[in-house]
Parts: sequence; structure tokens; C-alpha cells
Amino acid sequence: MTAAESVLQRVRGAVNRVDFNRFRFWFQLVAFVLFVYGGYLAIDLGSKLPFFSCGYNQEGRAGVCYLLPLQHQLGRSWAMLFSVASLVILTGFLTFAAWFIVLNKGWCGFVCPLGTLQDWITLLRRSLGIRFASYTHGQFAQLTRIKYVLLALMILIPLGIGGGFLSPDSSPPFCLICPARMLLPIFTGDFSQFTIDFSSKTAIFMTALGISVTGLFLVGSFVKKRFFCFFCPMSALHYLISKAALFKLKKDGSKCTRCGDCYAVCDMEIKEIADDVTRPDIMTDDCTLCLKCVASCPEPGALKATFVGIPIFESTEEGFIKRMNKACKHGK
Amino acid sequence: MANETSGVIPIQPVPYARSRQAGEAQTVLDHIVDDFQDNPQAMQYFYDLFRRVYCHGEAVPHSGKLVGTTCIQAPEELIYAFGATPVRLCNGSYHYDQRGADFMPAKSCSLVKATLGMLSSETVIPKLGKPDLVVNPTTCDQKKKASAMIEGMGYAVHDLEFPNVKESEAARVYWRRSVREFASELRKLTGQRLSRAKLKAAMAMTGRAQAAFRQLHNFRRQAPSLILGKDAFLVTNAYFFDDIERWTAAVEKLNAELAERQAAGFRAVQSKAPRVVFTGSPPIFPNLKLPLLIEEAGGVVVADETCSANRMLYDMTAVDEWLLGDMVDSLADKYLKPCTCPIFTRNDDRKRRLRELVSQFNADGVVYQAFSGCQVYEMEFRSVAEEFNAAGIPILYIETDYSPDDQGQLSTRIEAFLESLKNRKKQRA
Repeated sequence: MTAAESVLQRVRGAVNRVDFNRFRFWFQLVAFVLFVYGGYLAIDLGSKLPFFSCGYNQEGRAGVCYLLPLQHQLGRSWAMLFSVASLVILTGFLTFAAWFIVLNKGWCGFVCPLGTLQDWITLLRRSLGIRFASYTHGQFAQLTRIKYVLLALMILIPLGIGGGFLSPDSSPPFCLICPARMLLPIFTGDFSQFTIDFSSKTAIFMTALGISVTGLFLVGSFVKKRFFCFFCPMSALHYLISKAALFKLKKDGSKCTRCGDCYAVCDMEIKEIADDVTRPDIMTDDCTLCLKCVASCPEPGALKATFVGIPIFESTEEGFIKRMNKACKHGK
Repeated sequence: MANETSGVIPIQPVPYARSRQAGEAQTVLDHIVDDFQDNPQAMQYFYDLFRRVYCHGEAVPHSGKLVGTTCIQAPEELIYAFGATPVRLCNGSYHYDQRGADFMPAKSCSLVKATLGMLSSETVIPKLGKPDLVVNPTTCDQKKKASAMIEGMGYAVHDLEFPNVKESEAARVYWRRSVREFASELRKLTGQRLSRAKLKAAMAMTGRAQAAFRQLHNFRRQAPSLILGKDAFLVTNAYFFDDIERWTAAVEKLNAELAERQAAGFRAVQSKAPRVVFTGSPPIFPNLKLPLLIEEAGGVVVADETCSANRMLYDMTAVDEWLLGDMVDSLADKYLKPCTCPIFTRNDDRKRRLRELVSQFNADGVVYQAFSGCQVYEMEFRSVAEEFNAAGIPILYIETDYSPDDQGQLSTRIEAFLESLKNRKKQRA
């Protein structure tokens, strides 16, 4: 073994033993600050970001969530939509995809400010000693489809607006009901989104729905871990193009004892992570790639996160024992 | 008549050390200790423990209420959290096996019979004292039917309801509820409340024991072996009744010695010794007949898939939020989901686990023990054999019981099997 290899191995060992929850907490915090306040430092990462860096947070945002421009672009008049001018929709999508494939759904688990916000609400609940709620098997199977319905509506409604069938007051439809539109600007002191627009019936309906969804979001994410991610149309869009991603969650089924430790810590209640021993690409459509499953797997090499095929973070016995023992002693 | 005789020649009760069961234990222990060379020094703790408890009949002290378990499926962390002490009642003594024959049909599992025999006897060895509660998980038919018999002997029995399908969501929900009921049963028994701090302390204690076990387990990957399987079985057998913290400290000491052995390039066996994975019915002291026969014949047991060793200690619990509800549910899942007991409808997990052990531990073959009358293990052999035949891994099936009578015949079969493993190794090389 060369010296470089032994250094690499030591680094790998240290990474695999990391106090993962703490690392993720700080990573999320930094990402949150960057995308909610980065604008003040003139950071602008464009408008094709694959997570909820909300465009309505006009002063603080360091970039804009792709869903906002996408809905605007799809809402053009049909004459324009079906012209060469719509090449920008294609290039926009490609830019979005280029961002996306770097981290895959890791954008959800590590970067998305709305996701981080839910994790903080979870911390609050946990510190109050209240247990999380979970879905039954049947509820899960039904609810998991909602994100695709929302994605379809998010595309169809702007098309309807562009065709003149629907009122332009419902544009951009998803942003109007997205809790990020109301909640993220608050962090820069902007409460202006908390209003009901009385200019038309459609506007009243959409803004009132938005406030209700935000209320539901706050209550929901208090009782249920990552409540909103389950319904997120961005998550659905991610999944449709996730095959091309560079960052992947891999499972070696032959090493799995199906003990269910990964499922026990999964915020999204994904059963396949524990039960499926045949698929190497184990990321499902609900996954946020938070990698908590990897950190809580006691079987060496059974779960790993890879970047372009190179293992970055891998389940190890040593890491598991260290993390669980520590949590067990100090309680987290 | 008896009185008249004893009037003339007073019949003294035989001291325990001269009883048949002490003799049985003594013979096996002497064999384990004296007939093998280079036993690890740290094994002395375990040799002494078994000698004191099984050969001299010394009492094993415990704190709080004593909760006997007839299966690894009873969550020990819960028992500890209520300030009680768990003790595994599964017994390996031929003497008790014969005694227990009164309760069960002729062709029944030796383990169940021996456990019943022990519980029905006046001099229960190991001398733990009378369990305040016997927890009997509803696993195989024989253990299920043993419940009422144990109750008939005057013990308080709790049937811990255990599903016999484990893949379904219904099974998970049912089992979680069952574990919660067990917790409330323990609350009634001890009069204590389950608290977050107590359960966490209990889980940390078991976690440390499991970490020590895993380390020992990992040392056994080394080829040629650093330690023999007979010693490893004795270590895990001690977990049945020993004080958990003392046990963990002793295993950690053993691990330290194995690390030294590894650094020194020590070999406990010849480099060509066939490496065997042991599976099936659990070897429990003094019935270490099969592992001992394998190692006497020059093989070495490098890993096992049995509920008296690996399955009992291997799988560790992960908890997301250390609140009582989440901890109890996580514990419940740990006891159900990875379990490879043959009482379940399907055995894919067991087959996968065995394949993984064979590959990870560089094993040359598998020895499959089925106690005569243990139908589930007998029935599962077919599918396990198919799996291994397809993979080209030799497997030896042995149906036996606690009786020492078949030793001669078994040793011939085992020697032949090991010889064939050696030949395969040579041909491959």
C-alpha cells in the first residue's frame, strides 16, 4: 500500500465515523444562511436552482428556485410557447438538470431551506418530548402519489393560462400555495406575502389556499418529520431525471440483514431502504438523500453514498457503534 | 420399607458436585479446557464461571426480579430497564433432556425437553433462583405448548405473542404492540415505571455487550484462526446467565488478547484447517457436542448462525429520536426484522445471511445441526441445501440430540466431511 492510499484510507475512516447528525445540522445551517441571506452579499446563483431558494425572498435570496421561472415560461401565450422563443425553456431545463445531477436529491436533504426549516421544527418537537406521527402502510401508498398530481397541475395550469382557459391570477399556481413563498421572506423581515389578494375571485382563492397550506405546513411538520417533502412537486420532478445523477445512494443487498435500522431513522418512512435487497440503486421518489440511513446502518458497506461511482460515505460497524453509543448516552 | 433401610444405613443426599449433571458438565468442560492446546488466557474467566456454576452448583446472584426467557425474542433491554435481571432458560443438559421427556412426545426437541426438565427439577442448574416471571415468546409449536406446562409447574408465565410472518406490515404492528404489552407486564411485576433514562441506560449496557461481541466475531475472520469455535460458543453461552457488565468486561479482555495474538501472528489451528460455518439448532453448554467434534477432527468453527450465539448478539438497535416510544418501537423492530429463526414462513434472510457469513469468513463449508424433533430446522434444510448446492458450497446435515450415544458415528461423518473440504481446498490451490 502506498502512502497516498493509506492517507486516503484514513480519511475515509474518519468520514465514516463522523458524528453525522451534527455534521448535517451545521451543513444545513450554512446552506440556509447562504440561500436566504446570500443576496445581501450580492451572491446570485441564477434562477434554475433545484430546491426552494424562494424567489419571493427578493432581497436575501442567493438564487431562485427553478419552479418559479418554469411556471412563468409555461404560462406564455400559446403562440409564443410554440415558437422558437421557447428554446429558453429547454435551455432553462438543461441548466436546472445540470445543477440537479450534482447532488441528486441531496439538495433536499442538505440544502433546501424549506427542508431545513422542517428539520428545525422537528428539533423543537423533539425537545418538547413529543413523538413524531407516522403514516400507516395504506396511507403512505396513497399519499405518495400526491406529488405527481401537484407536478402535473403545476404544468397544466400555466398551460391553461397561456391558452386563455384560466385566469392569469392563478399564476404561478404552485408558488401561490407553496409555504416557502410565505415563510422564507420572513427571515429577511418581509411579511408582505401574508396577505389575501382581493382583486379577483381567483386571487382570493389562491392566496387563501396559500395561507391554509402554510398553516398546514407548520402543524404538519410539527407532528410529522419532513411533512411537506412527501407532497413536493420538485421532489417528483427530481425523481424523473434522477437516473442521470452523479451522487447516488447504493445498497449491497447481500450485506443487508434487513434489521430495519435504516427504516427506523428514515424521515420519509421509506420501507424499501430496509426491505429491498435486490436493487442497488435504492433511492426512491420520496427519498431526500439525507443519508441518515447510511449513518445508522451497522453492516459494513451495505449502504453507501457514491459520487460518480466513488464511495464518499459508507456504513461501517465502527461508525454505527460510535454514533449510537453517543446518542444513547447523551440523548439526541 | 425405605424408612427401615435408611434407619440402618442412613442415605445421605448426594452433594451436587457428585450428581450426574455435574458429571456431565465436568466431562465436557474438562474436554474443552484440557484437550485443546493454547487456550486464550482470558478464557479462564469463562472456564471458571462454568466450573463454578455447572460443576460445583454455585448460585448466580442477581439484582431485582428475575425474568426467565425461553427465547432470544424477549427484549432484554426492557427487562433491565425495569430493574429486573433477564436469564435465558434454554438448557443444554442431557440429564434434564431425559427428565423433560415426561412432558413431550418421544420425538421432540431436546432443547425444549431439557428446559422443561430443568424447570421441573428441584435442583435447578444453573442455580439462579426461581424466576419471578417466565417469558415465553410464541415461536415454534413446541415452545408454545411448553407455556402451559411451565405454568403447571408453578411459575408465572407471560406469553409474548410473536408473529410467524415477518415481512408484512401487519406483523410489525402486531409485534410492536406485543412488546408494549410485555412492558406493561413488567411494570406490573416490578412496580416500577419505565423511564427514558432507565431504558437508555439499559440499551447502552446491551449496546456495549454487543459491540464487544462484534469485535470477537470480527477477530474470527482471521485465517488461520486466532480462537476456536468451542471457546466462542462458551463465551456466548455465558451471556445466558452471567452478569452482563462482568461478561462484557471479560469479552473485552479476551478481545485485547486476540488483538495481541493477531499482532504476533499467532495460529490457533493449522493453516490448512477447514473453516466451518455452523448453523441450525443452537449448541448450549454442556451440549457442545458438534462444535467439539468438528474441532477435534481438525476443523475450526469460524462463525455461526444460531440463536445461542450470533443471532442473539449480532443485530444492534438504531434509534432516531431518543424518546421512550421511539426507543421501544426500534427495539421491537430489532427483535423481529433481522431474525433468521426457522419458525417464519420464509427463510430468504437466513439463506442470505449464511451466504454472507461463508463469504466474509472465508469458510470452506457449512455444518447444519438439526435437533431430532425440531421440525422447523429439519424442514428448512431442503431449501438451504438447494441454495448451497447451487452455489457450490459443501454442506453437512446432522440430525442429532443431546444424547452422547451417537458421538462415534458423528465423528466418522464429520471427519469424512472435513477431509473432503481439505481435498477441495487442495484441488483449488
